[in-house]
Amino acid sequence: MIVKKYFSTFLAGTLLATGFVSVAQAGKSDDTLNVAIDRELESIDNYYNTAREGIVISRMVWDGLLYRDPKTNEYLPNLATSYKWVDSKTIEFDLRQGVKFHNGEKFDADDVVFTLNYLADPANGAKPARNVNWWKNAEKLGEYKVQLNLKKEFPAALEFLSGPIVMYPNDYYSEAGPEGMALKPVGTGPYQVTSVEPGKRYKFKKYDGYHASSPKGSASIGNIVIRTIAESNTQLAELFSGGIDWIWKVKPDQAKRIAAQGAFTTKNSSTMRIGYLNFDAMGRHSKNPMNDVRVRRAIAHAIDREGIVKALVQGESMVVNSLCFPSQFGCAQDIKSYDYNPEKAKKLLAEAGYPNGFETPFLAYRNRDFAEAMINNLNAVGITTKFEYLKYAAFRDKVQDGGSPFNFGTWGSYSINDVSAITSHFQSGGKDDYSKDPEVIKQLGIGDTSVDPAVRKAAYKAALSRISEEVFMFPLWSYNTWYAFSKDVDFNPTPDEIPRFFTAKWL
Amino acid sequence: MLYYTLKRLGLAGLVALTVSFISFGLLYISSDPAIAMAGETASDADIEAIRQLYGFDRPILVQYFDWLQRAMSGDLGKSYYFRTDVSALIAERLSTTMTLGVSAITFAIVLSVPLGVAAAIRPNSVIDRIALFLSVMGQALPSFWFALMLIVFLSVTFRLLPTSGSDTWQHFIMPTIVLGYYAAPAIMRLTRTGMLEVLSTDYIRTARAKGLRPRVVLFKHALRNAVIPVVSLTAVQFGFMLGGSIVVETIFALHGAGFLAWESITRNDLPTVQGLILVFSLFYIVLTFFADLLNAWLDPRIRIN
Amino acid sequence: MSEINSKTLESQTKSSVFRRRVFGHQGVMIGAAIVLAAVLIALSAPLIAPHDPYYQDLLNRLVPPVWDSRGSWEHILGTDHLGRDYLSRLIYGARISLLIGVGAALISGLIGTVLGVAAGYFGGRVDMIVTFMITVRLSMPVVLVALAVVAIVGGSLQVVIMVLGFLLWDRFAVVMRSSTLQIRSMDYVAAAQAVGCSTTRILTTEIMPNVVNNLIVIATLEIAHAIILEAALSFLGLGVQPPLPSWGLMVSEGKDMMLFEPWLITIPGVALFLLVLAINLLGDGARDITAPENRN
Repeated sequence: MIVKKYFSTFLAGTLLATGFVSVAQAGKSDDTLNVAIDRELESIDNYYNTAREGIVISRMVWDGLLYRDPKTNEYLPNLATSYKWVDSKTIEFDLRQGVKFHNGEKFDADDVVFTLNYLADPANGAKPARNVNWWKNAEKLGEYKVQLNLKKEFPAALEFLSGPIVMYPNDYYSEAGPEGMALKPVGTGPYQVTSVEPGKRYKFKKYDGYHASSPKGSASIGNIVIRTIAESNTQLAELFSGGIDWIWKVKPDQAKRIAAQGAFTTKNSSTMRIGYLNFDAMGRHSKNPMNDVRVRRAIAHAIDREGIVKALVQGESMVVNSLCFPSQFGCAQDIKSYDYNPEKAKKLLAEAGYPNGFETPFLAYRNRDFAEAMINNLNAVGITTKFEYLKYAAFRDKVQDGGSPFNFGTWGSYSINDVSAITSHFQSGGKDDYSKDPEVIKQLGIGDTSVDPAVRKAAYKAALSRISEEVFMFPLWSYNTWYAFSKDVDFNPTPDEIPRFFTAKWL
Repeated sequence: MLYYTLKRLGLAGLVALTVSFISFGLLYISSDPAIAMAGETASDADIEAIRQLYGFDRPILVQYFDWLQRAMSGDLGKSYYFRTDVSALIAERLSTTMTLGVSAITFAIVLSVPLGVAAAIRPNSVIDRIALFLSVMGQALPSFWFALMLIVFLSVTFRLLPTSGSDTWQHFIMPTIVLGYYAAPAIMRLTRTGMLEVLSTDYIRTARAKGLRPRVVLFKHALRNAVIPVVSLTAVQFGFMLGGSIVVETIFALHGAGFLAWESITRNDLPTVQGLILVFSLFYIVLTFFADLLNAWLDPRIRIN
Repeated sequence: MSEINSKTLESQTKSSVFRRRVFGHQGVMIGAAIVLAAVLIALSAPLIAPHDPYYQDLLNRLVPPVWDSRGSWEHILGTDHLGRDYLSRLIYGARISLLIGVGAALISGLIGTVLGVAAGYFGGRVDMIVTFMITVRLSMPVVLVALAVVAIVGGSLQVVIMVLGFLLWDRFAVVMRSSTLQIRSMDYVAAAQAVGCSTTRILTTEIMPNVVNNLIVIATLEIAHAIILEAALSFLGLGVQPPLPSWGLMVSEGKDMMLFEPWLITIPGVALFLLVLAINLLGDGARDITAPENRN
């Protein structure tokens, strides 16, 4: 029985390794791209879900006033043909004519005004709040002309209007509301939803009435089916048996071997997500070794970031030295950085009064193996850890309650290409801020509210430099995503980690 | 018989209440319901407002009875994650789990009872050894490994069955085998032990001595008595399977109540978890209750005790 | 009349009959041999493990075992995803599996025996309460309890043993209760009560020695049960925490590579299987050997 058990796994491995597995032509032959995602979506309504997959679907089904080109980062006109800054707190939009929603409703100023005012009302609870809480209201100036009044100066306004803020049909939404939209979504986007099985499966069909002048282009693949398959091995089995044509977030070790087999296309792309270490610099949790800047600097020198990136993170990832992703606006790179130097780390620890190291709690919610590698690095300089690995919700609760003096986390900035989406989130005195440094808070405040790009850049650089100098938080590396898909599919990932199926084609 | 039934019902209700209260307490201790409901981007003020609005600052006992009151009238609240009615959510997912559970227990019974009987008739024979070995395999084999191996062979390599999902009855074949195999060992051993004991009793020897045909002896007399503990065990195993279905439902992407339970626990979706626990424990209690009734009907001696 | 000579009588002494039963029972012999081997491996781990089970070598990750073309004798069973020697982890893992099994069985055995014997001996209200507790325990979802405990106290080896100990007592209670019920109606117990022995004395001298056989059988089976349950908890992330080399955790960590490097889960899986098989053989054998003695 034992031999049989081993033999069967061995056989399975060999069959796959030798490429014995043949792939069905299911996807291309019926013009349907079968996609697998790993989690249940709480709702398909764009304003009531926060998962990345929700963002992906949002780009397929709805349009915004503007659209950020993923390659050039330019803001292109979509549902708005042009815009004008009337003053630093008011924007005027001219809207595109001749656009129809999936249910035939005509798109005009009423829809824009309705959507923006609906979102601005906190009682409606649109998520996440930071996407919608920066404007006061919208006014209709004409059938195709709208004015948006901001609450204060908000430099990231166009960034939000070209991505997460999409236009809803006023007649339909005022009747159906979020419950109705979640079961039967209606938008102006390149794909329309034909079937919703909440949390399980979503079916899409190419929208033939899509406006031809859209910067998103015209979709090529006729049908898309997105299914939730939580288990990664099952996703791979479906890919191998032809039931699924496209998967992402493949683990690097798996992706390497899939690529070696040659039966599927694998692509890697960097993302805006970065990993970081957070320290209880001000003693918010308790009096502990992390209060001392020398200890934090020691830890910065103790972690072999380069080694971990090469061996574990792999792909297009790289070490980052500023608490932001290099492409984000304001992410200054010319600041103090820390090299991998365990000897220096030990010296700093001795200086701080810990010649034999110390023990500290250490919290994480993902990438257990990266955490273990870091723990290994820390052990080498004398720091032992009491490691706790929690689910994200529990991790977030504990951190925000002030319960974690030392933790490893990541942040994807919701793909917003601006430092305000990450550094300000963690260091502006909010719930995740364990240092609450007045200087950093001041500089980030200037950067977040000024509309002059030069002023913003200087302020953010000052903040990032101080963060690095004092190691309030320690940036580790950028993340990457592996995609694996059928050889019939022509798909190109974008660095904002939002797959655009409307640009994919059959080969 | 009536008194017995009422007594059992009362006890069952008490058990359900206790289980639901303990679970309620455990959930509240392990996560803050206000934060879970408010979501990740809420500010401290938002969370405080929700705490006041939904009464999360009241003593646990008060909150529990409030929930219980509403649950009695069928209102299990709204899921923190999906924002839909918990009762509707559970009802939708439960049909998949029930289908899986029933076919799995049927498979387990069809597999283990004949094997147990055969093993008991010829103790220490080859059949007996095989039966025992298979039962240990069933307990020591990780179910996710078994599930994925079945997928690799039957679905990927030989294209006989669909890999995952719940669209057709073929989709349920592999999950049934994996889940049923997990329940089979206990049923098999109990059948074997029960049959062994019964086969050596006086009245069986008497029946044989009377000259009754072996098959009649076997089914009419022996099995009927041996099956009593098996009935109870089957009910228990069915209850366990509802929990054990988490792994099977996750791997085969079956989106049933087991998968929902695990995901809801990790998402801190308290109303959904609370509702599921209530439904699961009620099922378990109803099952054991009917098993007890069945046993009492099969063996009058049990009723009198 | 048959001749009774002293030699025949000698060979029929209780201990020699017992010894013959034990050594003649195939299952018990095989089971005992494997368990003994596991215990020896666990005890001598520091001496026989070729490497430090915690040493990470990021440049030598996922090296296959020696029988694969890419393997080497440096790491006979290969390395895991952090470059740690698999054979060393397997050897040290024996300690953890045995500790968990025995620890959990001890705790649950204590709880279950106390409850079960009390219920069986005192009957009435006590029995009702204990039966109620057993039913509640069986209706509680194990996963939820484990998750709540881990959320409050954090995961560690001690916590896992405690959680399993507090969850596995039901079978002990049920079996101890029915055994005690059987014994209680015996004549010698009634005699002891009539003579005026205290309850404690009756429990210790009359009841316990006669239920201890069943206790041993159930204990061995629950050791195996605890070991398997720990593996399942590790799969869900609620078991022993890394970097401890628990076999269950090794299986769970190797799961993602299952379709590509199957030996990562097969090796600890086989170890788990063998240990559980052996313990079950011992338990079943113990039941077979002691059962005829208990029959009345």
